[in-house]
Amino acid sequence: MSYTLRGRLESRLAALLPLVAAACVLTALLHRWWPVQAVALMAGVGLALDVQAYHSLLRYQPAWAAFPLGALELGLLLGLMRLLNVIAPLPQALALFAAGWLLSQILAQAGFPLLRLGYSEDGGELGRLGGVSVLAVGVALAGAAATAYAGLRPVVHLAAGVHQGPLVITRREILIGDAGAVVRGGIIIRADDVTVKNVAVVGGVNGITVESVHGTVLDGVSVSGAQLDGIHVRLAGIVIKNCTVDMHGNPLGQGIDISYNMGMGTSMVEGCTVIGGMEGIATHASMTEIVHDRVSGTQMRGISVDEMSMGTVMDSEVSGALGIGIYCNDRSLCMIEHDTVVGTRPDVASGNPTRRGVGVLASFQSQADLRGNQLASNPVPMGAVIDSQIAATH
Amino acid sequence: MAVAVVGSGLAGFTAYQALRRGGLAPGEIAVFGTDDDPAGAFRRHAAAIRQRRMRSESDGHCLPATFPGLAVRSALRRRSPGPLVASVLDRYHPTLEEFLAHVERVRERSGWERSLQGVRIERVRAVEGGFELDRHGRFRHVLLTPGQPGLNMPEELRGDPRAVHAYEPHEYRSTVTVVGAGLAAATEWLNALEAGAEVVSVRRREPLRRVLNVPREYFSRRGLGSYHRLSADERAARLRALLAPSYPPGADWDEPLARAAAAGRFRVEESLNGSEQVICATGFRRGFRHDPLLARLVDDHGLETFEGWVSAGADGSVPALTDTTRTLALGGAPAQWAFPAADTLAGARYVGHGFLRRIKACRIR
Repeated sequence: MSYTLRGRLESRLAALLPLVAAACVLTALLHRWWPVQAVALMAGVGLALDVQAYHSLLRYQPAWAAFPLGALELGLLLGLMRLLNVIAPLPQALALFAAGWLLSQILAQAGFPLLRLGYSEDGGELGRLGGVSVLAVGVALAGAAATAYAGLRPVVHLAAGVHQGPLVITRREILIGDAGAVVRGGIIIRADDVTVKNVAVVGGVNGITVESVHGTVLDGVSVSGAQLDGIHVRLAGIVIKNCTVDMHGNPLGQGIDISYNMGMGTSMVEGCTVIGGMEGIATHASMTEIVHDRVSGTQMRGISVDEMSMGTVMDSEVSGALGIGIYCNDRSLCMIEHDTVVGTRPDVASGNPTRRGVGVLASFQSQADLRGNQLASNPVPMGAVIDSQIAATH
Repeated sequence: MAVAVVGSGLAGFTAYQALRRGGLAPGEIAVFGTDDDPAGAFRRHAAAIRQRRMRSESDGHCLPATFPGLAVRSALRRRSPGPLVASVLDRYHPTLEEFLAHVERVRERSGWERSLQGVRIERVRAVEGGFELDRHGRFRHVLLTPGQPGLNMPEELRGDPRAVHAYEPHEYRSTVTVVGAGLAAATEWLNALEAGAEVVSVRRREPLRRVLNVPREYFSRRGLGSYHRLSADERAARLRALLAPSYPPGADWDEPLARAAAAGRFRVEESLNGSEQVICATGFRRGFRHDPLLARLVDDHGLETFEGWVSAGADGSVPALTDTTRTLALGGAPAQWAFPAADTLAGARYVGHGFLRRIKACRIR
C-alpha cells in the first residue's frame, strides 16, 4: 500500500485505539501504570517513525515489511522503556505489543478496507473515522496522564535543622529531608503510600512507627536514641532501604521490628545497618526479605525470623551478636543464603544451652534452608532444636 | 431510474458493484451494453494472447472493497496458506481461470442481468436535471465506460496479409515478428517461441519492467495527489510516460528469452524484416476521437480536452457536466486523466467509488 502521511498517522492511531482502551482497563485492574505508559510510548515511536522515516523512505509499503518494521518498533520501544524507567513485566509487555501489532495488521489488511471502500486508494486515510480516532487516542492518553498527575503524591521538603516531633504523617506524601534535617521525638506514619527519605530521627518512643497502613517506603533514614524500637512496623506493608539504626544503650528494643503483616505482601529490608539493641532485625508472623544488611552488637539475636514467619535472609552480615546470630523460630520457614555470621558470643549468663554462640539456630518446629553461608567463626556454626530442621548446602 | 452505466464491460461491471454496495438496488441502475458477459471482451483478448495469469494482484477483482481479495478466496478454496503468503510477498497473481470464475460468481449474485438493458448508447446529451441517453430516458447520474476504442494497428501494416493484431485469434508461423514492447508483446514472444518459431522483436524503445501497469504509488492518493496538482501540460507528459509499454520483471520472462537468444531464435531489430508473420502487440487506439460516443459528447458540449484525453476531475467526473444535482463521469481508459491506471480493475473500482460518492452527495437523488 502507498500511504499518504495523513493516512499513515490515521491508520496507526485508529488501530491503536482498542489497545489504548485495553491498556487503560489493564492499568485500572493492575493498579500499575506501565500498560498506559507502554502504549503511549508505542504510539510515540510509531508516529515519530511515520513522520521522520517511513513516509519518505517507503513510497510503497509491501505487506511483508510489517515484520521488520514491527521488530524495529519493538526494539525502540523496549529501549525507551528502559531509558525512561518504565518498569513492566517483559512477557506482558511483549504480549501487549504483539496484540497491538497483530491488530494493526488485521485492521490495515481487512478491517479498514471493509469499513471504508476507498481505504486503499485514499492512501490509508480514514476520513471522519481517522479524525475521531486521533481525537480519541489523544483524549485517552491525555486523560490517563492527567489521572496519573492527579495521583502523584505531594512532595514535602523538611528543611535542614532540628524539628521537634513526634511528626505525625496523616496523608499520602513524600517527605524528603534536606541535608541536616533531623526530627527529634520520632515519626508516626498513619496514612497509606507515604515515603520518607533522607530524614534523621533522634529519640521518640519508637524512632519511626508504621502501623496499619500500606505502601510505606523508608529510604535513607537514620534512627538513633529510640526508647523502644528503632523502626516499629505493625500490620503494615513496608520497604526499608539504606537505613541506619543505632540502638546503643537500648538493650531491650529491636532495631527494626516488622510484625503481623503476613496478609500484606512481602516486606523488604535492604541495605540497612543496625547496631545494638536486643534484636537487630526481627519479624513476627510476617513475609519479609532481609537483604544486604549489616547487624552488629545485639544483645539477644542478630536477625530473627519468628512466629510463623516466612523470611529470606540473604547477602547480609551479622557480627558480634550475643547468643545467636540468625534465628529461625516458632514454625517459621527461613531461606538463609550467602550470609556471613561471625563472632557470635556465648551467652554464658543465661545458662541456656541454645545461646552458646550459635551462628544459625532453627527452633521449635521451624525449617531453615542454608546455602553458601560463612558461619565458621562462631562457637557453634549452626543448630536445630525442638523438632526443627536445618538443610545446609555449602 | 436515476443512475445509468453506459458500457457493460469490466469497468462498468466493477463500478456497478460499488453502486450496489452503496445501497442502490438493481432496479435503480440501468446498464447499457450489448454483451451480457462483462468479461467478454477481456476474455477474447486474453485468449488471443494465451494469457494464463493476471498482471494484477490479489486486489485485482471487481468487488468494491479490496478485502477479501482473490488470494484470500484462493487460500480458502485450496485450503492452503500459499496464496496468502505469496500475496504478502507481492508474488500473487491470480490465474485467468480464477479471475473469470470470480467475475462469473459476482455477476450471478449482483443482479447485473436485472440492470442490463441490452442496447448500445450512441449519444449522451446533457438536459435539464440530468442526461438523455438516446431515446432511452433521462438519468441524473451517468457513468460512461465505453471500453477500448478498437485495436491499434500500425498504419504501415494495415492491409499487410502477414499482419495480425495480438488480440485477434491467431496461430504462429515459423518466423514471427512481434511489434510492441508491452505485456502483450512479451507474452507473444514466449508464445511464439514455445510454438517453435523464430522470433524478432521490433520496438521503438526498450520496454519498462514494472510489476503493475504504473508505479504503485499511482494507485493511491500518495501518487495521485501530486499528479492531480500538475498543470495540463505536465500531466499529459506524465501520463505519456506512465503509459509507456511495460511488462513485469522476473525470471519467468527473462530466462526463456535468454535461452532463445543464445540459440539464435530471439533477437531485437529496429524494423520489420521478412518474417512470415507480423503480430502487432500494439494495444488499443488512444484518445476520445476514436470513440464515437465520447467524440460526440465532447463536440456537443464543448468539453475541455487535452492531447486526446477528456479533462476529468480527480474522481473521474467531467466538471462541465457535473454539479450538486447531476453527475457525468468517465470510467475505464477514458478516465486516465483522473487516474493513470483507469483501464485496470483498481482504476474501475476507483472511479466506481468516486461515482458513488457523487450520487450520495447529490441533493436530489
